[in-house]
Amino acid sequence: MGPFIEVVLGGLMAGVLYSLVALGFVLIYKASGVFNFAQGAMVLLAALAFARFSEVMPMPVAFVLSALMMVGVAFLIERLVLRHLVNQEGIILFLATFGITYFLEGLGPQLFGDNIYRIDLGMPKEPKLILEKMFDGGLLINLEDFIAAGIAAALVTFLAIFFQKTATGRALRAVADDHQAAQSVGIPLNRIWVIVWSVSGFVALVAGMIWGSKLGVQFSLVLIALKAIPVVILGGFTSVPGAIVGGLIIGVGEKIAEVYLGPIIGGGIENWFAYVLALAFLLIRPEGLFGERHIDRV
Amino acid sequence: MEGNVVTVSATAGDAITFPRLLEKHAVERGNRPAIREKNLGIWQTYTWLQVREEVEALAGGMAALGFQRGDNLAVIGDNRPRLYWAMMAAQCLGGVPVPLYQDAVAQEMVYVLQDADVKFAIVEDQEQVDKLLEVLPQCAALKYLVYDDPRGLRNYQQPQLLSYERLITLGREFNTRHPSHFCDQIAQGNPADVAVMLYTSGTTGKPKGVSHTHTALIHTANVLVEFDGISETDDLLCYLPMAWVGDFLYSYGQAYVTGLCLNCPESTDTVMQCLCEIGPTYYFAPPRVYENILTQVMIRIEDANPLKRRMFRYFIDVARRVGINVLDGKSGIGLIDRMLYAVGELMVYGPLKNVLGLSRIRVAYTGGEAIGPDLFNFYRSMGINLKQLYGMTETCVTVCMQKSGDVKLGTVGAPMPGVEVRLAENGEVLVRSPGMMKEYHGQPEATKSVINAEGFFLTGDAGFFDADGHLIIIDRAKDVGRLAEGSLFAPKYIENKLKFFPYIKEAVAFGDQRKHVTAMINIDGAALGDWAERRNLGYSGYADLAAKSEVYKLIRECIEKVNLDLAADPKLATSQIARFVILHKELDADDGELTRTRKVRRNIIAEKYAVIVDALYSDVDHCEIEAAMKFEDGRSGVVRADLRIGSAKTVVSPEPSVRRKAA
Amino acid sequence: MGENAVAHNSSNSAGLDTDTKSTRSQIGEVILALENISLAFGGVQALSDISFDVREHEIRAIIGPNGAGKSSMLNVINGVYHPQQGTIFFKGEKRHQMNPHKVASQGVARTFQNIALFKGMSVLDNLMTGRNLMMKTGILQQALYWGATQREELAHRAKIEEIIDFLEIQAIRKTPVGRLPYGLQKRVELGRALAAEPTMLLLDEPMAGMNVEEKQDMCRFVLDVNEEYGTTIVLIEHDMGVVMDISDRVVVLDYGKKIGDGEPDEVRNNQAVIDAYLGVQH
Repeated sequence: MGPFIEVVLGGLMAGVLYSLVALGFVLIYKASGVFNFAQGAMVLLAALAFARFSEVMPMPVAFVLSALMMVGVAFLIERLVLRHLVNQEGIILFLATFGITYFLEGLGPQLFGDNIYRIDLGMPKEPKLILEKMFDGGLLINLEDFIAAGIAAALVTFLAIFFQKTATGRALRAVADDHQAAQSVGIPLNRIWVIVWSVSGFVALVAGMIWGSKLGVQFSLVLIALKAIPVVILGGFTSVPGAIVGGLIIGVGEKIAEVYLGPIIGGGIENWFAYVLALAFLLIRPEGLFGERHIDRV
Repeated sequence: MEGNVVTVSATAGDAITFPRLLEKHAVERGNRPAIREKNLGIWQTYTWLQVREEVEALAGGMAALGFQRGDNLAVIGDNRPRLYWAMMAAQCLGGVPVPLYQDAVAQEMVYVLQDADVKFAIVEDQEQVDKLLEVLPQCAALKYLVYDDPRGLRNYQQPQLLSYERLITLGREFNTRHPSHFCDQIAQGNPADVAVMLYTSGTTGKPKGVSHTHTALIHTANVLVEFDGISETDDLLCYLPMAWVGDFLYSYGQAYVTGLCLNCPESTDTVMQCLCEIGPTYYFAPPRVYENILTQVMIRIEDANPLKRRMFRYFIDVARRVGINVLDGKSGIGLIDRMLYAVGELMVYGPLKNVLGLSRIRVAYTGGEAIGPDLFNFYRSMGINLKQLYGMTETCVTVCMQKSGDVKLGTVGAPMPGVEVRLAENGEVLVRSPGMMKEYHGQPEATKSVINAEGFFLTGDAGFFDADGHLIIIDRAKDVGRLAEGSLFAPKYIENKLKFFPYIKEAVAFGDQRKHVTAMINIDGAALGDWAERRNLGYSGYADLAAKSEVYKLIRECIEKVNLDLAADPKLATSQIARFVILHKELDADDGELTRTRKVRRNIIAEKYAVIVDALYSDVDHCEIEAAMKFEDGRSGVVRADLRIGSAKTVVSPEPSVRRKAA
Repeated sequence: MGENAVAHNSSNSAGLDTDTKSTRSQIGEVILALENISLAFGGVQALSDISFDVREHEIRAIIGPNGAGKSSMLNVINGVYHPQQGTIFFKGEKRHQMNPHKVASQGVARTFQNIALFKGMSVLDNLMTGRNLMMKTGILQQALYWGATQREELAHRAKIEEIIDFLEIQAIRKTPVGRLPYGLQKRVELGRALAAEPTMLLLDEPMAGMNVEEKQDMCRFVLDVNEEYGTTIVLIEHDMGVVMDISDRVVVLDYGKKIGDGEPDEVRNNQAVIDAYLGVQH
């Protein structure tokens, strides 16, 4: 029992991190109907900035500075790209985010260097044994993961309240629902887009910091961030809870598959498991676990 | 008729009137909530002290305008605190409130306004004001028309009109000039005075104003308080028409007798939501409301995902098997069943009751019409203490009531304390009680014709007592008929069975002196609309939907299930429905097809749709019909339709071995 | 339960009673004047040389057959289109080129022919977006949800509740708009426009696609808005009947030209108008 629970816990922790990245996708998709391929690149950029800034200044200052930088990026993306694509098809906007991806992937290393950088958030790294009485040999857990999960939970709660209870949150949902209708009641589309991209830039920063402190800041962060795509397919593109549950399912699923199926069908399951699961979901429930089924009246 | 038969330790006989009860509550529980109203999205609470103050001002205003002892006050509108207060103000001044059905059209109001010689009216809004202004020329006595909601009335110039606020202002002025008037008037009140006049919806002929005294009403309310332990901590939602005796006695009456809190919903459309927010502990509804709630539940379940649907069905079956026994505290329920029921409560019944706003219910009543056994059992099996009662406006409702823990399906319980019930030779139920009406207003002849020399009221219902002394009402005495070959035909029984299906809103069964039974079906537009939508079945409106062959097939299946059920009972096997028709329009009180309390008027329907009835009893498979219809704006038009006649399978020989009665 | 909902709404005489109309709040000075407006898209002349005015507190209808230029007219008033020629005076001041956003902030709200509501959001949220222009607190404040934001939100909510009560849509407060029938959606859209507390309301075919009962309800609401809030109303309809009953003055357009202007009775008897509606060839 003990080892199994360890596997599940490990999976849950990885899942939390997937969820964080997926959250960025969902926010932008909800608010602007754009599938933002650049989310991974934003995670990398934010993590790089934070890592390098914190080398020369105290961590809180570095955090604020990185956050401001992400707001700046959001502003530029709106000004230079999105503004010119108002009322275009979703696919065009999607492709535009490809361009943004390559640009950011180039920009980050250019500005901040392309080595592997460490982020030390001062979280305890040593694994800890708990519940020794309940299980034979106890449970080996990683405190760092728990703190990361706590941060993620706080962030999600904050965002949920922000979206549901404030005027700006309502405006964001309005824009997500219908661009033209939003414009007609005087919601300034441009400002809303800046806000959305800033918020998802902020989420990218938090995700980048946590990933970075676990694995070091390096280019491969972009690839890990791609894992968020199956997560949102699973959870539903429009659902914040979906992003979280989806992340957890995939995190746990791939760990269990790796440990228990690995020996039978060969290793490396972790690399493709998420995508196969997402594929299966597309077949049986295309709107995802929590996605909105479209109810239209004729 | 005086309280000599009273066996309960009620306050009857202590010279108690409703206004004195108000004074009592203002002193004893001045700061407890007396009434709540949801206004602009927020529940506003008024304490007994506030209510008393408001009523005093109101009464002052009315007195200032010349309202005198013995005057009648018409009250028209949805259940609004101000209208309840106005009723009290009238009683304080020794006058009589006359609540009218708020959805009656103007012409229907004329009779009551004339009959009761109404000088004052207080109404809810512009809609009612317009109606009264329309009939003003016919109601010469009507001098003042007070409205609660000024919306849309700003520029009305009629001299009779004044706003509620204006009335209150007048009242406060009057009260400073005559500080003791209010209390003097209350002191003059006599328990034998008429406290309210309720016009019966009149299944036949013109409505009659039933006059009740303070004594009768307060006595009856007290009997009920003792019977079910109702207290000031109870909460109830007022949503039934104020003109109905049920609302007067069970909302207004109970509130004043016990000091409990009334809750007025935001609007008629939000009753379900308000029910959920308030979570009343005490609830009274005619069977139709329980039916509507169940229909909505069924629709939602149909829409739910398969897992939930399956879970719901499974646990509903469990509840059907053991729920009622659990509720009645019977022994002999298996451990497994008990556990299953507990799980069901956790997973299905509890959440369901919560959504419906029924989770705090201690007692729920139904009456006014027989309730379908399946419907009745559904609620009881959920753990809701639903009880049937029997009574009518003339007897302050409460004649018989089922006792908690001793509820027998199909009966209406034993006579209430202090009520004598006798059966006439022809099976008609006769009642004598302290809650008897004083008279039909201004109709001594009519009064004499329903109250016999011994003081018994002739109910017109046919019934009998079972071995335990519980009364069983079969039907209206005149409605119970026989098929041509002589076997029993109880139309309401069949109709109730049909109406249990969520897709059937109303049903009218025919068969008296005929060779077999036929039925007219009114589909439930909302439920079937959903059903059609799920099947991608296009339709352009109610009539079109009703004519779809898919719908006919669905209804036929329902009817065949009923037939199977009927076949299981040898007495009723001959009452199986052979042919049916789905009506193209909803039966409507505005067209005279239903009473205002939505009881089917079988004879009027038979007359109006004679063509259809003839077709049902011939071999044709369709018939054309033209029906006059009153639109809701008061205009009328003619609706034409070509209706199909469906036939249903009947089970030929009901062999005892195929009995498959579930309950 | 609730079966008499509609009965409650459709008072029999309130909406269409001409007696009521004549006693309505006093019609004031000219609030909006359009002078010699011409609008063309490429080679297509949508409006040519149209002049008319709207007085304070009045209900002004613009009618005409399909393609007469009614919607273009509304879009000119609304600031969506900029006429090539002509001048617009609003509250006595000459108006320069203006975008819809700016016009909205001057107290002009509108509804659309094809309902432009947020289908996935609740009725309440939809109405709240109507007050967007009046929200004072900034995003950072909102993000931190300080007391001021909350107080502001509550104040706006109170106003919205009044509108909900006014339009009798209490029962659907929390319902997603997409689930509502068409007629109710129209009512919600009217509510959203009212949420901005406009001095002038532009209604683009508020009764299109409605059944008789819904139309009557809508008429009553339009009249009530006009009476209760004193809002000036400009409405477009191509169904003449309803409009004639509730309007103070009517402009008739046909092929981008004004062919009639005046009180409903005058317009009804105007030969050019009759021809346009009967489809007489020019």
